[in-house]
Amino acid sequence: MDCIKKKVNEKLKAGWIGPNLRCDYHPSHFSGQDCTFCYCPFYPCEDTDLGDFIVGRRGQRIWNCSDCLFIHRTPVVKFILSEIDRLGITEAGDPRFKDVLASAKERYFRRGRALMVVGATSDAGKSVTVAALCRILHRRGMLVAPFKSQNMSLNSKVTRSGSEIAMIQTLQAKAAGLKNPDAHMNPILLKPKGDTVSQVMVLGQPYGDYNVTDYYGEFVPGPGREIVRDNVEFLKKRYDLVIMEGAGSPAEINIYDRDIANMGAAVIADADVILVVNVEWGGSFAYALGTIELIPEDDRKRIKGVIFNNLRGKPDGFKSAIPEFERISGVPVIGVIPHADVTLPSEDSEALRGVHGKGEGRCLVGVIRFPRIANFTDLDPLFLEDVSVRFVEKASDLDGVDAVVLPGTKNTINDLKWMNERGISDRIRELRGKVPIVGICGGYQMMGSVLDDSQGIEGGVPGTVMEGLGLFGNRTEFGEYSKRIVNNTAQMLVGDGGEVTGYELHMGTTDVTEKPLFEITGMFNKDRQVEGSVREDEMLFGTYFHGVFDRMPFRRYFLSFVSHDGERVDTSDTRDYDDIVEENIDRLADVFEENLDMDALLRILGVAE
Amino acid sequence: MRGVLVLGTSSGAGKTTFCAMLCRYLSRRGMDPAPFKGLNLSLNSYATRDGGEIGIGQAFQAWSAGIEPETDMNPVLLKPSGNGVIQMVLNGKPSMDITESRPMDRPTAMAEAVRAMERLSGKHGFLVCEGSGSPVELNMMDRDIANVGLMRETGINAVLVGDIERGGVFAALYGTWRLLPDDVREQVRGFVINRFRGDASILEGGISRIEELTGMKCLGVLPYMDLRFPEEDSLSDSQGRLVGTNARSAFMSNIDEFTDTAESSGFDFDSLLSMSEFRSSA
Repeated sequence: MDCIKKKVNEKLKAGWIGPNLRCDYHPSHFSGQDCTFCYCPFYPCEDTDLGDFIVGRRGQRIWNCSDCLFIHRTPVVKFILSEIDRLGITEAGDPRFKDVLASAKERYFRRGRALMVVGATSDAGKSVTVAALCRILHRRGMLVAPFKSQNMSLNSKVTRSGSEIAMIQTLQAKAAGLKNPDAHMNPILLKPKGDTVSQVMVLGQPYGDYNVTDYYGEFVPGPGREIVRDNVEFLKKRYDLVIMEGAGSPAEINIYDRDIANMGAAVIADADVILVVNVEWGGSFAYALGTIELIPEDDRKRIKGVIFNNLRGKPDGFKSAIPEFERISGVPVIGVIPHADVTLPSEDSEALRGVHGKGEGRCLVGVIRFPRIANFTDLDPLFLEDVSVRFVEKASDLDGVDAVVLPGTKNTINDLKWMNERGISDRIRELRGKVPIVGICGGYQMMGSVLDDSQGIEGGVPGTVMEGLGLFGNRTEFGEYSKRIVNNTAQMLVGDGGEVTGYELHMGTTDVTEKPLFEITGMFNKDRQVEGSVREDEMLFGTYFHGVFDRMPFRRYFLSFVSHDGERVDTSDTRDYDDIVEENIDRLADVFEENLDMDALLRILGVAE
Repeated sequence: MRGVLVLGTSSGAGKTTFCAMLCRYLSRRGMDPAPFKGLNLSLNSYATRDGGEIGIGQAFQAWSAGIEPETDMNPVLLKPSGNGVIQMVLNGKPSMDITESRPMDRPTAMAEAVRAMERLSGKHGFLVCEGSGSPVELNMMDRDIANVGLMRETGINAVLVGDIERGGVFAALYGTWRLLPDDVREQVRGFVINRFRGDASILEGGISRIEELTGMKCLGVLPYMDLRFPEEDSLSDSQGRLVGTNARSAFMSNIDEFTDTAESSGFDFDSLLSMSEFRSSA
């Protein structure tokens, strides 16, 4: 406490500083945040609108306000400083701070409003609409949080505090200018394990495996609704706006009463709703009207606007029918958005459906297309390089490849069996030393010599011990039902020693006998920790780090081993993937802003400009 | 005349394949079916024996019916040739380039479509007609030929195929029905839910609600099948196994499997047949 008092005293002397752009940790919460009170003068305020008690390592109660944004808003800071001045407060710990906080809250603390974006179908464009709205509103100075109560996706990321949430919510948070997306933004994550069973993650941690019947019969009416309520409330206390995303169609009338992902969540959050319809496949007026009219009347009133998305070609013909649609449906059309050619990470495996390759470069990278491929957004940065990517589903697909990538999988054991049965494993062994081979997560585990699943935790069949590809001597054991979820920064121990970032999400532990690839540089590590495996002479690379290609150094290093007829990949234009995504979010937001009725949108949001 | 028009809630809803399956089923029952699509927008065409050009879908449907493809099965074929120009093939022969300043002569095309349909009907026992895209594109409905146009001109009854794979199938079926013009809405007697995965009993409440709201009868829920069928237009992205080197024979074995599955899943072919009498324009 004394330490904090000392820091607060320093802050009081320094006066207003606004965003501290020179600080290494800036922005710790959101871009544009006010850093004057890096240490809060009200600590511990014990106001449950702003924080909560947590249990410390020694069992003691600790006031935790790490998610408080109130003290980082410039108008709040300026008001507090003026009050300090007016009251003549000079010391931290002055009892009058209590009154200052009370009057600051009185003036500036408002619960945020929620807006929900639902889609007439999967792939309607909900998630990009949410991302675009987050960026548009962030650019107008609002503090916005994305939210999706329940997401079913195999593409996930790890938050700063070690929770696993859907990748797309982290992208939307980025669009909102938020530095640290957290599990409140996607409190329920379903990771399909087969046709009917999913691993249910709650607040980023494994909760249990459910089939469809039990999920809707037990989980949803039980903890499900409360989880949605608590987390929407959490975000509403901290942000001006919560932009919620639905899942699938909100008009699945056969399961309507068991829904917590669409209108059910809108009711819990008391949110108005915008319906997004993808025009591409035709029938969009029917999808829009049917969706609106099949929703029961009480809930239907929440639908305040329709966005027709992804229109290709000239819009005039389509737009000519809009007055009639508005007349029939009674809901205004607030935007007709043209097809936007932007580069953003793909949300689900539907994006890979029917795609056999990408890119036009001379060098051919073969990516093993596992049946249970997961976190394949790892590959997105590669798609932007001067290479061609071919998805490998049979041994002959490896003919002529100049590099091989073994991506992540939801089930290492079963996908290794799949590779063995198709003769892909043998072909990869033949390619050893001839072309570079990189494995990520599950693909890295497969590169080892042994995969021990004696207890049947990964593959479901007890007594399974499999021989890996044998490219590394490593041995992986699936010892207990637990999942490693961490987010790391590291330095390459090869190449130019550049920085990489990555996150780990896996079952099983690997006993590494190889030379390591990275050294972890996270600030809280006391012991030297290394990661990955490398045999540079044989061009073999393996890592647990998802996102390993996002930053330039490792991508450039790996591509330096790739050549076709002696011609190497041109990496002179290589850029950090994050920067590319950032630019594309802006382009997406521009397209939406140009084609949305912004006045109508702001009216729906209840925001006066 | 006997026949039925198969409408879809969107492009790629599965109309083409469903029609091929119907052709195969009716052919097995000895009912002498023939496929028909009044207007087809497609780049993939097939050359008939008499040297005419029709959409590839109708050729596969003809083979499914056990007959040789002919130009009357697809009297109007529109082939986008880029830069906003569309080549119109009429009765198998290139007839004109449609541009913004030179639109299609709709009354002529409609009349040709109906005449071809009548010729075909004179030679066969049952017409399996396929609609085009969604029938309720509000901006184009008054110029329609293959959907609302055909229903008005011939009085043919229709079934509506909805694709459940992308979700929102109930909304799509209901919304399509709602937006149809009053004078033809009652001709849509039934609907089909296509490409379903899992246990169909979960759909029951939704199906009965749509039946109640619209008066359309649910003829069946067809399962998703990992089978590849010819791709009609550039929008469809179907994939799946197509065994064998000969696309036609591979397709035929696929359509046999699909027909068997439809029969064993209890698809209500009887209701479909009971709605198939219609007047012609003649």
